[in-house]
Amino acid sequence: MRIIGKVIIASLFLLFVGLVVLKGYSWQQNRKTPPQPIQFSHEIHVKKVGLSCQFCHTTVEKSTFAGIPSLQKCMTCHEKVATDRPEIQKLTRFWKDGTPIPWNRVYRIPVRNHVYFSHKRHVKAGVECATCHGNVEVMPVMKRQRELQMGWCVSCHRANNAPDDCLTCHK
Amino acid sequence: MDRRNFLKAVGVVSGTAVLTSCGVDKGTEKIIPYLIPPEEDVYPGKPLLVSSTCTECPANCGVQVKVHDKMYRGERGLFPTKLEGLSGHPVNDGALCMRGQASLMRLYHPDRIKRPLVRDASGNFRVATWQEAYQKIRDSLESNRKAGRKNIYLSGKTTATLAQLIADFCRQLGIERVPEYEAFSHAAVKEANRLLFGRREVPHYRIQAADFLLTLGADIFETFLSPVNLAVQFARARERGLVWFHLEPHVSLTGVQTTRRLSIKPKSEIYLLAYLFHWLIAKGAVKYRLPAEVSQAVPYFHRDEVLQETGLSGAKLDELLEAFRRAENPLLIAGNVATAQEWGLEVAVLAGLIQWMTGMTDSVVDFSRAEDASAVGDLRDVQRLVNLLSRNQVGVLFLARTNPVQTLPRELEFGQRLHGANLVVGLSDVLDDTVRQCDVILPLSHTLEAWGDSEPRRGVFNLIQPAMEKQYDTRSEGEILLQLLEAAGKPVPTTDYHQYLIGQWNQRFSPEQMAELQENGFLELPVKAVKVKLNFPALRAFLRKPRKFRPVEGPVLVVTPSIRSYDGRSRLLPLMEEIPDPLSTISYGEWITVSENLAENLQLKNGDEIEVVLEEMVLRKPVFIQKLMPTNLLAIQRDLLEELPLTIDPNSGEAIIVREGVRVQRTGKHIPLPVLAGSMSGQEGRGILPEEMHHGGDHESEHEKIANNPPHEHKDYRWGMAVDLESCIGCNACSAACYVENNIPLVGAEEHLKGREMSWIRIEPYYVGEETMEFLPMMCQQCDNAPCEPVCPVYAAYHNPEGLNAQVYNRCVGTRYCSNNCPYKVRRFNWFDHRLPEPLDKMYNPEVSVRERGVMEKCTFCIQRIRSAKDTARDEGRKVADGEVVPACAQTCPTNAIVFGNLLDKNSAVYKLAHSSRQYRVLEELGTEPAVHYLGKEPKGEV
Repeated sequence: MRIIGKVIIASLFLLFVGLVVLKGYSWQQNRKTPPQPIQFSHEIHVKKVGLSCQFCHTTVEKSTFAGIPSLQKCMTCHEKVATDRPEIQKLTRFWKDGTPIPWNRVYRIPVRNHVYFSHKRHVKAGVECATCHGNVEVMPVMKRQRELQMGWCVSCHRANNAPDDCLTCHK
Repeated sequence: MDRRNFLKAVGVVSGTAVLTSCGVDKGTEKIIPYLIPPEEDVYPGKPLLVSSTCTECPANCGVQVKVHDKMYRGERGLFPTKLEGLSGHPVNDGALCMRGQASLMRLYHPDRIKRPLVRDASGNFRVATWQEAYQKIRDSLESNRKAGRKNIYLSGKTTATLAQLIADFCRQLGIERVPEYEAFSHAAVKEANRLLFGRREVPHYRIQAADFLLTLGADIFETFLSPVNLAVQFARARERGLVWFHLEPHVSLTGVQTTRRLSIKPKSEIYLLAYLFHWLIAKGAVKYRLPAEVSQAVPYFHRDEVLQETGLSGAKLDELLEAFRRAENPLLIAGNVATAQEWGLEVAVLAGLIQWMTGMTDSVVDFSRAEDASAVGDLRDVQRLVNLLSRNQVGVLFLARTNPVQTLPRELEFGQRLHGANLVVGLSDVLDDTVRQCDVILPLSHTLEAWGDSEPRRGVFNLIQPAMEKQYDTRSEGEILLQLLEAAGKPVPTTDYHQYLIGQWNQRFSPEQMAELQENGFLELPVKAVKVKLNFPALRAFLRKPRKFRPVEGPVLVVTPSIRSYDGRSRLLPLMEEIPDPLSTISYGEWITVSENLAENLQLKNGDEIEVVLEEMVLRKPVFIQKLMPTNLLAIQRDLLEELPLTIDPNSGEAIIVREGVRVQRTGKHIPLPVLAGSMSGQEGRGILPEEMHHGGDHESEHEKIANNPPHEHKDYRWGMAVDLESCIGCNACSAACYVENNIPLVGAEEHLKGREMSWIRIEPYYVGEETMEFLPMMCQQCDNAPCEPVCPVYAAYHNPEGLNAQVYNRCVGTRYCSNNCPYKVRRFNWFDHRLPEPLDKMYNPEVSVRERGVMEKCTFCIQRIRSAKDTARDEGRKVADGEVVPACAQTCPTNAIVFGNLLDKNSAVYKLAHSSRQYRVLEELGTEPAVHYLGKEPKGEV
């Protein structure tokens, strides 16, 4: 009886540890590649179609935010293009229903409320999009490449002689 | 399984359950793009600027609305987050008062009426459709007309196209348009001008062209006519050496900024003016001569009698008279407490007479640009309406943008009489005392959600344009009237008010003017010159009426306007309670201001409750003791009263706010008041204002400077500020602007009583001598040798290369050491999370973080604005230019008392001011090396 009890406890404990590991892994994956309402592929748009980043992320050179294209912009092409694909049909449904697409954020500054980050400044300083976002042209599914921790920002700033005063970023 | 193992198993299983349930959605924040992007060039990070008009009070300042593209509770949209005065606007030229700054809170107020409401048979409101409401109004209009009852339209002050549309609406539907109602109608001044010049108007006072100003009662920085405009003009006149005398029985914010504040006995203004009148004639200091029979009809008082009745000293009276005579362009303004009393009309007539006689009406008293108040009636008009109501002769009564139930004198009993009307239709944006008593409520869109126009004074035309989509099912008054006309089967050109406005504008303006209106948000129109002529017969008839003036007896109660809420309308804006009243520094609560002698007689301390009996009315409120208040005087701000103990002047229709026959006694109760000035506005020898410091000896040598830090090197910028105390009028506009710009939490009465207010910039009033107070705006001094920095154990407070005492919120652990070590008491600690309630949180500025509990915060010199200017400068490959960074406080200041810039730039405005002879720094002897330089006041010697 006691042995059976111990076995049960031990197996439950092992199950617990297993779940912790699994959960942790899937959570991490989920954070890096959050599920999206539409399986949008950067690979197709950048590599196959040959669009530049700025074509959709229109304000990346003039604002702190890079900008996410409006549904209207998607529809300028997808009114005609690839209308038979299930993902494009999803897109059309959003358009017809008049609801914006609730994308899940992939990149997020850990304490965004307290941090000021300007895409414009970085692009103008010649920082490549890929430095933070990786090679999106080979990503059928967008995946986070960097955790955007402060230490990483600061090391790059120092290496490139960019200001490292706290108030450069902290707001 | 034994108990022990069972518990182990349960522990493991429940632990697993907890683990699997957590973290599912963490890290997956939504990011919502537009369906169709807005037409304007606006995107996150770049706010849109929309020119419009502030309608919080009838002054109608021009504003620039900052609209942010941001996420709000999972929805993407455009949200106005800040109002700023429109630069170059003829009324306010870039400045805005604290009510204007706070008026965004009306747009997002939780009490906004969201859809039409109709009172059902049981007396409760139920939601209705617009059609239903229109139907009900249309039927009622018709049945009442048939029954021979009057349908009446009463509104607050209305100008431009809407005024015409209301007139048209009333004419087409047979509705009587009664004179407009405003609590501050300036009835006595208008009646006097009608009598003297045949013009029932309040002129535009051109303080900027005057070298001598004499104000009787007129609180020109608080609520009088157009306070921001008058303050802007004051600043211009002051630079050219304006000499200003102010006479008042109580103590007002306006009074303490003047060259001489003369305290006179209540109701004694008439003695002084009559004396001044005869003295000017006797000295020949007049431009136009009056016939002897007129001048002789003005009562003559002997000098001794004047001194006795007014309580002025002979020396002060002489100083005033001589200054008046010496002036090239004198200006006399009488208003508020001087004209809202038993002999108010006589005061206004005499003031008008002196204005004419000395030639002011040719220059500084400008009737051609009259502050358009001619459609606003007085209390006699309201009395007529009340009589109709009590005789059940009113059918449908429209009440638009007005709150008579709250603001009319109690003796009119408007609230009760209202039910005499058959159907009361209220048009309002928020639920107020009047609307609650209506039968049909038509919700109005806020000015920032609708199209419109306004004419704040003759010759100034303002555009009102929407800065956001309507938040609720509301409509503008213009739309409602057009649609009601259509519902009644009358011809209307369009039911779209915007189209209607364009039609009207095209008729009135040339294409060039239209383009200018679009471009600037306002138009300056040519006005016909007005040369006023004295109406002698009317004047003679008035002067012939015998009036008996008598001395005032016993304690007097003055019911004053409030700078924070105007006539009471702005009290619902939460920020207007969080920011203290400038003179008393009381934020939340209700109080009666009493004189020191009264407090001594009744043995009162601040917060002790008194009972004030006035006829059949009893007030019980705690007291605040005001050192400057003359003997036997009590004052209460009108917005703190539920019922107004005012009477009506039958001669002018003005509300009389000076009440005699008051009985006062203490109740023994004590109600703590949040008085935010810690030392009761005493300097206690600290030399915070320069006069005392210089008189008190050389502090610099008395103390050895302690260097907490090695001196700092600044490379490109050393941000600094200069505050001219000569210009600061203590109006608190800066404080309000700062709250809105920097998302400063509103913490409420309880926290204020514990001294936990959060303002980053505050106005400290200090008593100076026996007669006046002075103001000192206090914000983080951004010290070079900052005491706060070395004590922070986590380096959250540190010195930035540009000289700012930076505060890194997410590094702060809340030890509060920095605050304890700050000699200026400008650091604020978040004891709790005080987020603005929904939907007020729509106004959060996305460029500034919202701090949470346990974090220290303080003035940042508007780092977000510095950063933005540097960003632009960098794009253009240059350094930030002087004047490019304007913090919110400096931006809104009507007198430009605050100047910001780079202290390393020797050509910058701030550098010059920081090296002026009047420059000093607060508590300089501590060696903190502040970056905020104050310019002290020159001692007020001879004038």
